[in-house]
Amino acid sequence: MSDRPSDRPMLEIEGLHKYFGDNHVLRGIDLKIAAGEVVCIIGPSGSGKSTLLRCINHLEVAEKGRIRVDGQLAYCTEKDGDVRPLSNRAISAVRAQLGMVFQQFNLFPHLTAMGNIIEAPVHVLRKPKELARRRGRELLAQVGLADKENSYPEELSGGQQQRVAIARALAMDPKAMLLDEVTSALDPELVAEVLAAVRDLAARGMTMLIVTHEMNFARQVSSRVIFMDRGVIVEEGTPARIFGAPREPRTRDFLRTVVDR
Amino acid sequence: MEIFNLEIAVHNFGPLLAGLMLTIELTLVVIALSLVFGLLVALGGMSRFAPLRWLVKVYVEAIRGTPLLLQLIYVYYVLPEIGIRLNSFTAGVLALTLNYSAYLSEVYRGGIQAIAIGQHDAAAALGMTRTLAMRRIILPQAVRIVIPPLGNYFISLFKDTALCSVVSIQEVIFTAQILAARNFQYFTLYTVAGFMYFAVSFPAARFVAYLERLTKRGYRRRRA
Ligand SMILES: Nc1ncnc2c1ncn2[C@@H]1O[C@H](COP(=O)(O)OP(=O)(O)OP(=O)(O)O)[C@@H](O)[C@H]1O
Ligand SMILES: [Mg+2]
Repeated sequence: MSDRPSDRPMLEIEGLHKYFGDNHVLRGIDLKIAAGEVVCIIGPSGSGKSTLLRCINHLEVAEKGRIRVDGQLAYCTEKDGDVRPLSNRAISAVRAQLGMVFQQFNLFPHLTAMGNIIEAPVHVLRKPKELARRRGRELLAQVGLADKENSYPEELSGGQQQRVAIARALAMDPKAMLLDEVTSALDPELVAEVLAAVRDLAARGMTMLIVTHEMNFARQVSSRVIFMDRGVIVEEGTPARIFGAPREPRTRDFLRTVVDR
Repeated sequence: MEIFNLEIAVHNFGPLLAGLMLTIELTLVVIALSLVFGLLVALGGMSRFAPLRWLVKVYVEAIRGTPLLLQLIYVYYVLPEIGIRLNSFTAGVLALTLNYSAYLSEVYRGGIQAIAIGQHDAAAALGMTRTLAMRRIILPQAVRIVIPPLGNYFISLFKDTALCSVVSIQEVIFTAQILAARNFQYFTLYTVAGFMYFAVSFPAARFVAYLERLTKRGYRRRRA
């Protein structure tokens, strides 16, 4: 397992509310994640897990609440109680500090694996191309794809694509990673290779917030498990406690349905 | 009955060919201009600045709702009344560019919107601004989608230049008209003119069809 999580808070979410029209999807989320912590979010479909992750990097705009990344207030500034949104450029700068991996991989199909990986380091961080490539090769080796740097996404299997997507996010040297059901779009036989890459990241001390339906994986990899339902955090605790002795009836019901499956 | 007169055809081939060259020149100039202007119009139509979006909408609908012939006449015969006097080539280029940019902007818009939302999300999540994502991620993919429809528009542009005879550009049709007024060999002259158009547009259409097959193949390494 990873180094012991430190006390330095890497992600802080406070009183987060999100509506889609009349649909109150996030109903006051408070969550603090320390550097090096691996937190898994579980919960039924439609409970707002993806929306929470998307709000954290501002792909969805929350109506209320505060998000801090490594202690810095993100996406808005506050002066004399007056809250203002940041400029688009400043929002992008915060996002550049968070890596996100999507269920559908979302690799750029017109770029090779290496092209995908160096795109943002070169054009957002203005890193020299050669340096970015060198780092790209290390990352491809780390996710077990050293021989695929010149392959285009559609020449790769789903599991390989997702590992490139992980490498692409890592290439930005993110302060934390957000993973949204990264194995749900994969054929069963390809799930393990992606989970192995995520486990390896956890072992390297990466701070991660992971939405998953893989309960065994959540149990093994996380330092903390959060159960979400209908836009609120119902219960949280160590994996042993949540899976072994859930306190809330809703958690118990949910775990029964996923174990039965 | 008129018959095809080979002697007349040979005799008038030179001037008609010169007309074809001008037709091609006109087409190429308008292609270059409308490729750029059409993209600007498309981007303007997707701007977050509402007045710009409205302006684009009015422009596109006005162009699509009126005949190209009217637009040509307007530029050449009506603009001088408000002091804008253009020579016939410039007038033709302007009218055709305004017309085709409106249609091409819709092609571009379709191509850009065909790029899945996940591509925007992924680019944004990597810290790319909207402009950078557009330039590096969305447009390169959209180009591939729009190449075949753009090619087809350019072939119809090539044929639409025939309308420029009304603003006295000495392209194929205008040249044929002048020659026919002299010798009344309509059948021969217009048949030669028709073959000239066909000789360009048929291979061009085959080429566009080839590009279409190429772009449908997806992104892969070129293998030796
Ligand atoms: N873009 C959107 N527009 C409108 N409603 C949305 C949008 N995205 C999500 N929702 C709604 O928000 C609620 C939460 O959705 P969300 O995708 O966050 O759930 P989830 O917990 O990730 O579910 P799943 O396990 O199925 O992925 C759902 O009711 C969903 O219909
Ligand atoms: Mg989801």
